[in-house]
Amino acid sequence: MRKKNSIMGMAFFGPALVLLTLFLFLPMLLTLGFSFTDYFALNPELTHFKGLENYVNIFKDELFVRSFFNTVKFVLIIVPLQCGGALLLAMAINHAAHCKKYFKVAFFVPVVMSLAVVSTLWMQIYSPEGILNTLLGNLGISAQPFIHSASQALPSIAIMSVWQGVGYQMIIFLGGLQNISPALYEAAEMDHASSWKKFKDITLPELKPLCVFVFITVTIGAFRMLVQPMVMTGGGPDHSTYTIVYDIYETGTVNWEMGLASTMAIVFTIFVVVLTIIQNLLTKEKEGNHADKKAKAH
Amino acid sequence: MLTKKQRRINWILVVFLLALSIFFLFPVIWMLANSFKGDAAITADMNSIAAFIPPAPGGGFFENYVSILTNTNFVRYMANTLFYAAILIILGIVVNGLAGYALAKIAFPFRDQWLLVIMMLLIVPTETVITIHFLIIAKAGLLNTIIGYILPMIVNPFNIFLFRQVFVSLPDDVYEAAQLDFCGPVKYFFTMVLPMSKTVVATVSVFTFLNVWNDYLWPSLVFTSSDLLTAQIGLNSITSNDNTTMGQTLAVITLVTIPVIIIYALFSKQIVEGVTSTGSKEG
Repeated sequence: MRKKNSIMGMAFFGPALVLLTLFLFLPMLLTLGFSFTDYFALNPELTHFKGLENYVNIFKDELFVRSFFNTVKFVLIIVPLQCGGALLLAMAINHAAHCKKYFKVAFFVPVVMSLAVVSTLWMQIYSPEGILNTLLGNLGISAQPFIHSASQALPSIAIMSVWQGVGYQMIIFLGGLQNISPALYEAAEMDHASSWKKFKDITLPELKPLCVFVFITVTIGAFRMLVQPMVMTGGGPDHSTYTIVYDIYETGTVNWEMGLASTMAIVFTIFVVVLTIIQNLLTKEKEGNHADKKAKAH
Repeated sequence: MLTKKQRRINWILVVFLLALSIFFLFPVIWMLANSFKGDAAITADMNSIAAFIPPAPGGGFFENYVSILTNTNFVRYMANTLFYAAILIILGIVVNGLAGYALAKIAFPFRDQWLLVIMMLLIVPTETVITIHFLIIAKAGLLNTIIGYILPMIVNPFNIFLFRQVFVSLPDDVYEAAQLDFCGPVKYFFTMVLPMSKTVVATVSVFTFLNVWNDYLWPSLVFTSSDLLTAQIGLNSITSNDNTTMGQTLAVITLVTIPVIIIYALFSKQIVEGVTSTGSKEG
């Protein structure tokens, strides 16, 4: 029986295992291995072991440092706007007694569009004689260069990304708001609690695990920024929208410097994994507290 | 039920949200309205409310769409993407489904350890390995081939995990009965397990489709030949052509979005449930 199970298990799990090995385990090991070398894919014979040298060098590399700080800027603009915007939208829609269904669809529409589509559309919106500058002109604001200037390109792309993504987190928050027991609010109403107090003492604590989840997933999403600058600005002007993943991609697949690209990929992965672990720790702990509170209440 | 004051607040809120939603959607409205116009009309309408209103239907109303569908490779790109999506949905369900079933129901050696490994793989972002995928596919001489594009995309730890979670709650006695029937395990999987799990099969299919349809980086790396491009990459090659007008650009991006809208309309329940459940399960 045991032998039969191991044969059958491998027959069922085998195809996936072969592909996992080829396209996940092996690439992960190679990435880690290459990150300690100067592996140049067009001339692999000349590979030397470099130890931790790459890890020191990338932080001395002006372009990588630039792309690192650009990515951080993207995260700092996108995360508060997208998380806060999604929460506010969800609460407003949850409160509204009319047109609920329309609001849900309306704010979700950009989520349906792909990154390439949204980027192409907003290149037109942001163009010097485009619709946005025309609208601003009517308000008496002079034409802005948006994605064509080194100082405005990054915020312009970040705001577009928030526009595209906010509907997704809004739906998550709406799901969470609908799961809060109305009895909690009724009890607060008996005590004549103010709206602010209800938000602070009921809504926010009840949504806390969801807030952590949204916060971390949006952070990771912003950290992975690539397609928008790739389509809209090519990382420019003057590398002002060049991101970590863009640098990994160009170093590895355009310049074939797999050694350096792998080092960057490992650094990037460490950030993402740390964020995910933080999220798991925070939500587990919160859920535990939550369960305790519920148990005490009963 | 509502007091007078609450009713007034509600109306202010609804009016505010209506105004906000129109402002929020102005890029989409502008895109749709102007995808039916020539470039001269787009520029002429820019400074009036006409910028958000489609022209009167008449001769040449669909001109941009017709020229995209007939003068470019766009139909080819759409057909390519649908074909890739179909292959990846079928292979993905077979490979990930079988693996999920093994992890759920077959007591093979190190099963629990494998499950743990699959769960840990969920954390690793695709960007970590994509340059190595490119290297492997290039060394195998599979760049610019359909096989080279498809191979790294079949296996998906998240889908394996999803299948496992559903299969684990299937009753065992059906399986035992099937065995008495001399029904082989593989036949049992395809004739009993998958049909009993229609919901997860639908979810995985929908998300695979959306993933293939919207993916940008991997197809842009693998494909160089114009014949094999996916819709997203093809769209970029059409719009970056200097002969493409602004109206045609808006028509292309509208066309690329239509299949996704159809999928969302048909499966909105599964998708929204999927979205909210990722939140509540992990959060």
